[in-house]
Amino acid sequence: MIRFDKASVTYPGGVSAMRNLDLEISDGEFVVIVGLSGAGKSTLVRAINGLVPLTDGGLQVNDHDVPNLDRKGLRALRSEVGMIFQGFNLVDRTTVLNNVLMGRLHQVPTWRTLVARYPQADIDIAARALERVEILDRAYTRATNLSGGQRQRVGIARALAQEPKIILADEPVASLDPPTSHVVMKYLQQISRELGITTIVNLHFLDLATAYADRIIGLRDGELVFDGPGSAADETTFRDIYGRSLTADDTMAKQAAL
Amino acid sequence: MSLDTAAKLEAGAEEALELPPRPRPSMLMIVIGLGALFFTVLSARRVEFSPGDLISNLTRSNPVFDGLLNMSWDEMFSSRSRKAFVETLQLAVLGTTAGVIVSLPLALWATEIGNPYVVPRLILRSINNVIRAIPDLLWAGLFVLGVGIGALSGLLALFFFSLAVMVKLTADTLDGIDMGPIEAANAAGATHTQMLRTAVVPQILSAFSSYALYDFELNLRASAVLGLVGAGGIGQRLDFFRNRGQWDKLWGLVLMFFLVVFVVERISVSIRRRLV
Repeated sequence: MIRFDKASVTYPGGVSAMRNLDLEISDGEFVVIVGLSGAGKSTLVRAINGLVPLTDGGLQVNDHDVPNLDRKGLRALRSEVGMIFQGFNLVDRTTVLNNVLMGRLHQVPTWRTLVARYPQADIDIAARALERVEILDRAYTRATNLSGGQRQRVGIARALAQEPKIILADEPVASLDPPTSHVVMKYLQQISRELGITTIVNLHFLDLATAYADRIIGLRDGELVFDGPGSAADETTFRDIYGRSLTADDTMAKQAAL
Repeated sequence: MSLDTAAKLEAGAEEALELPPRPRPSMLMIVIGLGALFFTVLSARRVEFSPGDLISNLTRSNPVFDGLLNMSWDEMFSSRSRKAFVETLQLAVLGTTAGVIVSLPLALWATEIGNPYVVPRLILRSINNVIRAIPDLLWAGLFVLGVGIGALSGLLALFFFSLAVMVKLTADTLDGIDMGPIEAANAAGATHTQMLRTAVVPQILSAFSSYALYDFELNLRASAVLGLVGAGGIGQRLDFFRNRGQWDKLWGLVLMFFLVVFVVERISVSIRRRLV
């Protein structure tokens, strides 16, 4: 369970990216966060695994009291939370398998990491994660030699290899073309349903959001402006969230048609 | 478009186009250029440089150049020279290996990625700047005074010289790496060391290996000179013949050394090309 309690984030320089947020997300939910760029989507997601510290308020993630965690506590929290990135964040110069094994680091002793000798059990977990996103045959390919969609699947496998309770995805399809985007979103949805993993996805395409979300959360200027089931969000709702009328850029299908 | 303007456009195509006024050379460049010229002339006068002297001195019969023409081939393959060559290679290999191994953690700790603490980072960077400011020959001279004549001094000199080169090049490379994988490793709950090993080291490894080979080339060349101050290797043998005035043997060794360096460098360059 994730619970924000009057949480705020103000960056050095005065930008307020989260204002007095109250929000509760239950286990196993598939939540999509929408909002313009700069609305605080990335901040919200990164607050959950402590990459961005709160400047005020409280945040409970499972049994972790996030604002009061020391370094060790942060690592324990992060081991339970997998993350998927817009730019994939893979190490290009190493193999797909090595990238996925990064998800096992919280379990692997540092000396084994230093000599790159991972326990067989961890390699098996990494292989299963790759199998789930159907890319196991590329395990020994260098990450540079993959297409965008394949790279994001490796990104998902890396998060899965953590055997996480929560998966955070920050604009996971923003660098992908529409068909590939749907493939990636389907994997995320399927993983969430089958493994019961709470999944929080930032998106800026509204049609993708309504197509996949159990619950949509709208952010505007760091404030929660909408919270409801995916089916309840229509064009008026999105106009409220975006603070302007919608354009072709806001939906992937229309943008692709251009 | 009226006929008139169309005609004008036509004509304009053939007219020479008028460029904006050419910018003047900046005052700063003129001052720097004149300054450079002035100091060159001044230095030449100070050292009493004259092309005439150079030619007359070089063409006059002298034992050093006579030796070059009558190079001694047997010294190239004598067992003593061979031993000295082997020692030179060993010095270069050991000095490079030790320097390269120690340089990786030092380079990491000298950059923001590897070391979030400002003060230790600045201290490390300053120490490295001092190490780099001291040329290899001076290192060798210092160690000859400190630990005595012999190969150990040469080894220590090459070690410090390697450190300086490797830490500088590697730290610069580290400043330009992709930060994405670092964020991913941190988000996965990795320790700092694990993050460096899995997200940073793979990104710089090929550049680092390339620098290590380059450093080996530098050390091989340097190890020839180190012997001149008594720090072991082929240089000590060169010094021996120089002091005895046996120029024919000296030149033989120099040629041999040139060949060794040339071959090693070719191999190294071709490997490095494949790395990057």
